[in-house]
Amino acid sequence: MENNKPSKKFDKTIFDGLFMKNTVLASGLVVAPIIVSATTVQSAFALVIAFSLITFLTVLISSFVPRDMVYAVRIILYTVIAAMVYVPVAVFADSFMEQQFSSLGIMFPLLITNSLIITRSEIHFFKLDKLRMLAEVFFYVLGFDVVAIIVGFVREIFATGAIGDKIIGIHFTLPFLSTTFGGFIVVGILAALLKKIKLIIRSNS
Amino acid sequence: MDVIINAVLISLTAILIENTVFSKALGTSTLFLAARSKKQFFSFGLCITYFSVVSSALSYFADYFFKDNEYSYLFMPLIYVLIIGAVYTITLLVIWKLAYPFFLSIKKFIHVSAFNCAVLGALFTNALTEKSLIEYVAYALGTGLGFIIAAFLVTAVYERLYSEDISPSFRGLPITYIYVGILAMAFYGLSGGTIVI
Repeated sequence: MENNKPSKKFDKTIFDGLFMKNTVLASGLVVAPIIVSATTVQSAFALVIAFSLITFLTVLISSFVPRDMVYAVRIILYTVIAAMVYVPVAVFADSFMEQQFSSLGIMFPLLITNSLIITRSEIHFFKLDKLRMLAEVFFYVLGFDVVAIIVGFVREIFATGAIGDKIIGIHFTLPFLSTTFGGFIVVGILAALLKKIKLIIRSNS
Repeated sequence: MDVIINAVLISLTAILIENTVFSKALGTSTLFLAARSKKQFFSFGLCITYFSVVSSALSYFADYFFKDNEYSYLFMPLIYVLIIGAVYTITLLVIWKLAYPFFLSIKKFIHVSAFNCAVLGALFTNALTEKSLIEYVAYALGTGLGFIIAAFLVTAVYERLYSEDISPSFRGLPITYIYVGILAMAFYGLSGGTIVI
């Protein structure tokens, strides 16, 4: 019985981060980058790399900030750390995938104030032990990444009728899906789908 | 007179055409937080307006000094964060010292209203085009007021969005996204945009 506890906890970590408490679809956090930047699979992929590196490294480094420090100072330190983490990530982006990252525009540096860093880390991540915290951050970030790719895929395929250079045989395209309001509507429908699945799981169990 | 008219036009553009939430989705998660309480959304919005305006005024000088530096894109986020951090710290100290009851009332959300995409986004958007100090401030003011309008429009129907009238799958966050999307579409139309289907 005792041996099952850690794995159950770990299952919950995966399930919560990816699904039950999904950053975008269930919690309504880090919405702007998805709406603005995940318009194609390629731009969603650039967003995923930028977001994952900035958030994971920032939360990891910020976890060493002493908890007895005044909260107002801690919150400034978190964003300063994020802004410093942004520098090597931007250099990396510039060196290897300049074209893809330039499509993010100002959304790239704006990732330093994302809600996982500003709010979720303080009220949730930093209350856990280090290993559990790293696992939770990883799966919350992964939850965001999965949504970004799905939204990018759905918007690209239905707005342009193509994925990258490959034209898909869709005769009825909805170009408005590439706009901000199109993004909100796609994310809203995906959030409803996730909620429906959760309701089905709950009623079955 | 021209300066004032220009500033008003820039503010109106930031409120209606380039609304921080409806046209750029910036500060959406903060909006969801602010819209939860009818009492709190206005003070939340005012805090965002305050931080946008003061930080933008200071960022004008930072942009002026560093605009020609080829590596500015790397360190400007840090400079902006330090500016917002300084404004945030000084504001907290002043309010704590001079108006402690007010400090207690905004304590819960002041950190979120300082460090969010809407405030930082105003600073970055200002830097994209050549503007004067007054225009910087006018744009930031419009950003804050635009956020207040967006928060008002969501707060006004917040209870309905979570009511039993909405199907369980869409109730709450999903319908809120779609509602904000429809509002964003209306604002898009306001800016002269048309939808191609």
